Amino acid sequence: MRRMLIQFLAGFAAYVALLFLSQHLLAATDAGPAMQIVLTLLPMLGALVIGASILGIIRRLDELQRKIQIEALAIAFAGTALITFSYGFLEGVGLPKLSMFAVWPLMAVLWVAGLVVGRVRH
Amino acid sequence: MENRIGELRRAQGLTQADLARALDVSRQTVNALERGRYDPSLPLAFTIARVFGLTIEEIFTPED
Repeated sequence: MRRMLIQFLAGFAAYVALLFLSQHLLAATDAGPAMQIVLTLLPMLGALVIGASILGIIRRLDELQRKIQIEALAIAFAGTALITFSYGFLEGVGLPKLSMFAVWPLMAVLWVAGLVVGRVRH
Repeated sequence: MENRIGELRRAQGLTQADLARALDVSRQTVNALERGRYDPSLPLAFTIARVFGLTIEEIFTPED
């Protein structure tokens, strides 16, 4: 578990470092469209490490913790689908269009809410 | 199901953390088991029985 946490923190550090690097290179260089895409996605290498470490952590959970995580992820999945689809319809009647960046924070909040529900239930 | 896990643990002078280590589960899981908020899987039930040196039926009873 400790190794997974270190991997998670390393991935997060890499994400932040690559984010600054990509933003710097995009501003400082005259990259073509293809290179701009590569530079923009550079921080996602760190995000991949974060994702792999989270998967490793979940695989090491005991049966009750896995049950709580599955239920929390189901709440986040269904809740995000309902909310984003509802808001998509509302954009059609004039509400402001939101960036895709809003989806992940919404899912994270619902995931945490699901974990709280799971903790209270058990 | 009802169980005697808490009673058996205290009788052996174990903390919840001690029992969690013996069962290779989290302390949260031990707490949930003792309070009847979670029924273990069959493999975990067998492990609990082995740790206490009893049969599953001596530890767990179905709710009436």
